[in-house]
Amino acid sequence: MNSSTETSNGAGDAISVRAAELFKEQQQNIIRHTDRIFSWLMPCQWLASVAIALWISPRTWAGVDSQIHPHVWFAIFLGGAITSLPVFLARTQPGKMLTRQTIAIGQMLMSALLIHLTGGRIETHFHVFGSLAILAFYRDWRVLISASAVVYVDHLLRGFFWPESVYGVLHAPIWRSFEHAGWVMFEVTFLMISIRKSLSEMHLVAERQARLEAVNETIERTVAERTLALTLENTERQRTEEQLRKSQTQLAQAQQIASLGSWEWDLVENRVTWSEETKQLYGRTPEELGSPMEHCLKRVHPEDLPRVNQIMAESLRTHEPFVCDHRVILPDGKERVLQGRGEIQLNGEGKPIKMFGTVQDITETKRAEDALRRSEEQLRQSQKMEAVGRLAGGVAHDFNNLLTVIEGYCGLSLQEMKETHPLYKHIQEILRAAERASSLTGQLLAFSRKQFLQPRVLQLNEVVQKMEKMLRRLIGEDVELSTVFDAALGRVQADPHQIEQVILNLAVNARDAMPRGGKLTIKTANITVDQKSSFRNRVLEPGEYIMLAISDNGLGMTDDVKSHLFEPFFTTKGLGKGTGLGLATCYGIICQSGGDIRVYSEPNSGTTFKIYLPRTDAVPEPAASSDAKLIPGGTESILVVEDDSAVRKLAVVILRGRGYQVQESNNAFEALELIRKNSRFDLVITDVIMPQMSGKELCDQIKGQLPQTRVLLMSGYTDDALAHHGILDEELSFLEKPFSPARLARKVREVLDAPDVPGRFHPNGKKQTPVELVS
Amino acid sequence: MFSITALRTSLFALWLLAAGGGIVVISNYQDRQGSVGSTPEQWPAVRQISLNHDHDTLVMFAHPQCPCTRASVEELNRLLAQCRGRIAAYVLFFKPGQLPGNWTKTDLKQSAAAIPGVTVRDDPDGMLARTFGAETSGYVLLYDPRGRLLFRGGITAGRGHAGDNAGENAIVSLVAGQSTSLQGTPVYGCSLLSQSCSRRGASQ
Ligand SMILES: Nc1ncnc2c1ncn2[C@@H]1O[C@H](COP(=O)(O)OP(=O)(O)O)[C@@H](O)[C@H]1O
Ligand SMILES: [Mg+2]
Repeated sequence: MNSSTETSNGAGDAISVRAAELFKEQQQNIIRHTDRIFSWLMPCQWLASVAIALWISPRTWAGVDSQIHPHVWFAIFLGGAITSLPVFLARTQPGKMLTRQTIAIGQMLMSALLIHLTGGRIETHFHVFGSLAILAFYRDWRVLISASAVVYVDHLLRGFFWPESVYGVLHAPIWRSFEHAGWVMFEVTFLMISIRKSLSEMHLVAERQARLEAVNETIERTVAERTLALTLENTERQRTEEQLRKSQTQLAQAQQIASLGSWEWDLVENRVTWSEETKQLYGRTPEELGSPMEHCLKRVHPEDLPRVNQIMAESLRTHEPFVCDHRVILPDGKERVLQGRGEIQLNGEGKPIKMFGTVQDITETKRAEDALRRSEEQLRQSQKMEAVGRLAGGVAHDFNNLLTVIEGYCGLSLQEMKETHPLYKHIQEILRAAERASSLTGQLLAFSRKQFLQPRVLQLNEVVQKMEKMLRRLIGEDVELSTVFDAALGRVQADPHQIEQVILNLAVNARDAMPRGGKLTIKTANITVDQKSSFRNRVLEPGEYIMLAISDNGLGMTDDVKSHLFEPFFTTKGLGKGTGLGLATCYGIICQSGGDIRVYSEPNSGTTFKIYLPRTDAVPEPAASSDAKLIPGGTESILVVEDDSAVRKLAVVILRGRGYQVQESNNAFEALELIRKNSRFDLVITDVIMPQMSGKELCDQIKGQLPQTRVLLMSGYTDDALAHHGILDEELSFLEKPFSPARLARKVREVLDAPDVPGRFHPNGKKQTPVELVS
Repeated sequence: MFSITALRTSLFALWLLAAGGGIVVISNYQDRQGSVGSTPEQWPAVRQISLNHDHDTLVMFAHPQCPCTRASVEELNRLLAQCRGRIAAYVLFFKPGQLPGNWTKTDLKQSAAAIPGVTVRDDPDGMLARTFGAETSGYVLLYDPRGRLLFRGGITAGRGHAGDNAGENAIVSLVAGQSTSLQGTPVYGCSLLSQSCSRRGASQ
C-alpha cells in the first residue's frame, strides 16, 4: 500500500464521514421543519376540535334542561392535554426523538378525539391517514410505528371494552379488529417505502454534496495558494515595475537633456517604437507609436528622404551601423536637423530582425557649422579679393601714372592740333585706348574696393535718364531699352560715377546675353525691407531702400554660373571677350555704398539684377554744371611734387599752359626746401605715394609751417595706406589718377577758389562750396 | 442530565396517561346508555298515533335539541331505506308546553320530516313518551300489525355514533320476518326527562 492510496482512502473516508454529517444535518433540518409544522398544526387541530364540538354538540339535554355538552369539555381539556406536550416539545426541543414520538402519539390521540367528537364519522377517520402522511414528513419509520401502534392499541382496547362503538355489534369476528389496522398498515407500508427511498436519495445528495465540498475545498485551497503566490508575485512585479519606471524616467530625462531620443524598428512586423524624446524631436503624436517605418519617415525633409532611405537600405544590406544626418519638418513648419544612428540586430540565422538606434538634435551644431563654413568662405573670398586688390593696387599705381602721361599728352596734343591734321585721328585713338585702359584700372580698383568714392545725394531716375542715350548706343538696335521709373523715387547717397559704371556693366552684360536681340528694362522703385533678409551671405538690414532693377530676356544662367557670378575674373565669354570683372566691380561698388545686389535668373528665361541702396533724406546739392569745353586757368604759384617725372612734367605742362606759375620737385624733402625758400606758393599738388616721405606727411608739414598754403593730393588708388594717412577722414582735397588736362585744371581751380579754410574738401558734399569756373 | 431525562420521561408518561385516560373517559361517555322506562308489550290506546294494521309500526322518540339524536335520525333513514314500504314510521318530538313553538322546529326535526315514509309528530309535554316508556332521545319501538312489541332500544352503536349497529340489524331482520322474538338494544342520547327525574334507573 503506497501513500497515495492511503491518501485517497483517507479522502474517501473523509467524504463518507462528511456525507454522513451532511445527511444528519439534512435529516435534522427536515425533522425540525416537520416539528415546526406540527407545532402549528396541533394547536389548530385543537381549536378545530373545540369548534367542532361547539358546532355539532354544544349542549346536552335532559327534557327542557340543558347543560354544556361533555364533548365541548372533552375538546377543550382533553384536546388541550393531548396538544400540550407535543407542542411544548416541538417548540422547546425540536429535532429530538422524544419530541416527534410524542407528536406522533399525540396526533393519533387527537384523531381518536376527533372521531369521538364527530360521532365516529367515517370521514373523520381520514384524519388518521392524513396524520400518518404528515408524520411521514419526518422520514422516520419509528414515528410511523408508534403512531400506528397507538391506532392499533386504541382500536384493540375499544374493541375489547366497547366493541359496539368499534364494530357496531357486541360480538365481532376477530379479523375485524385487524381490518382497520390493516388499512393503517397498508398506508404505513407505502409511507415506509417512500421514506426509505427518500432517505437513500438524501444519502446520495449528501454524498454528492460532500464530494462537491471536497472538490470545492480543493479548488478553494488551490485558489488561495495561487492568490497568495500571485499576491507575492504582484508585489515583486510592482517593485520591479517601480524600478523600471524610475530608470525609464531617468532615461527620458537624460534623453531630454541630451536632445537624444532612441527608437526601435521591428523589421518583422514593420513597427517603429520610440522614446518620449524621439517623439518630441520628430513632432510625432502618441497614437502614431508602432506605425510602419514609411509613416515615420513622413516628417523627413523631402530633399533628404531619398538619402535617408538609401542609407537605411544600405545598412540593412550590409548589416553595418550607420549615421545619417537629415532634416525634419515639424508640424509647425519649423525645420530641425537630426542625426540618426542605427544598428541592425540579427537573428540566429543572420537575418536582420530589428533596427535600433538613436536620434539627436544637431540643429544648433549644424547651424554653427554652417555659420563657420560661411565665414570661412567669406574669409577665403575676402582673402582672394585682398590678393587681387593688392595686385590691382600695385599695378594700378604705376599704370595710372603711365596712363596719366599718355592721356595727358594726347589731350595736350589734340588741343594744339587742328582736327584736319593727319595725326589728329591717330592721337584720338591713342587717347581712347588710354581711356579704356584707365577704366579697366578703375574697375580693378573698384571690385577690390580700393576706389576712392566721392558720394553725393542722387536721384537714380536722373542718373539713368542721363545715361539713356549712351546706353541705347551701347546695346545696339536689336535690343529694345525701356525704363520704368517710380515717380516718387527717394534719393540715395552714392558716387554717381560709380553708379553709372554699375549700370553700364549690367547693361553690357544684358546685351551680351541677348545676341539675337531682346528687351532690356531698367526699373526703379522704393522698397521697404521689414525683415532681415539675407542673400549670398550678405544681410540687408530692415529699412527703406531704393531698388534699381535691370532685366533682360536673354539666355539666363544656370545655378552654377550664378554661384560664381560676382567673383573677379569669372567669365563664360571666352578668352579675350570677357574680363570677368564687370559684376565683381558692381558688387564692390554696391557693397561699398552700403547696398546689396541680387540676381534672379533661370536658364533661357532672362535675368534680373536688383540693386538695393539705402534711402537717404538728405537734399541733393545742385550739380556742378561743368562745361567740359571750359578749362579754367589762373596765375597763382603752384608747386608740383611727384616722384614720377613723366607725370610731374605733364602736370607742369598742363598747369603752365593754364597760366599758373609752376615749380616742380621730385620728392618731399626738396619740396619742403623749396617751400621754405619761397613761401609764396598758393597751392602744393603732391602725389601721395612717394619714397622717403609720403604726400600726406608732406601735407602735414606744410600745414604746420604754412597754414595758408593749400594742398591737393593725387593718387592712382585709395589704399589702406591712404586711409591710414587720414586723407579720407580729414576731407582733404584729392585728385584721382589718371587725370585729363581738363580735370586737373578744374580741380586746381576748385581748390584755389575754396573759401576760408585752405585745403578743405568735402567729399560728401555737405559743406562744399559751389565751384567757380574761371576761363 | 439524568434528572432531565427522567423529568422528560416522567412528563411524557404523565401526559400519555392523561391523554390515554381522557380517551378512555370519552369512550366511556360515548358508551353510556340512556335510561329506559317500562314499555308496553302491546300497542297502547293512544290518540295521536295509530297502529298500522298492514305493516309493522315504528315509533322513535326524539329530543329536538339533542345533538346525539342526529345519528339516530340518520340511522333511521338508512333503516327505512332498507325496509321501504314495509314499515310505518313515526318520529315523536318532545315538546314541553311552556316553551315557545320554535324550540322544536330544529334541523333535526326537519331532517326527520324529510325521510320518506316518516310521520313527524310533536309530543306535547312528553305524554306519549311517558306512555311508551321512552326516557332517552333516540329510543325506537317496533310493533307488528297486531300491536305486539317486536323491538325496543337504540339504533346507534354509541352516543351520537352513526354506523352499523345491532339495533338496526335487528329491526331489518324483524321487518323481513326472519326473526320474531322481542329484541332490545341500549339507547344512547339525551334524556327526555327533566333533571329531576332523569336518574330513575335504567333497564333493558
Ligand atoms: N545678364 C546676363 N545674362 C546672362 N549671363 C550673364 C548676365 N550677366 C552676367 N552674366 C554671366 O556672368 C559672367 C560674368 O560677368 P562679368 O562679371 O560682367 O564678366 P564678363 O562680362 O566680362 O564675362 C558672364 O560671363 C556671364 O556668363
Ligand atoms: Mg561684363
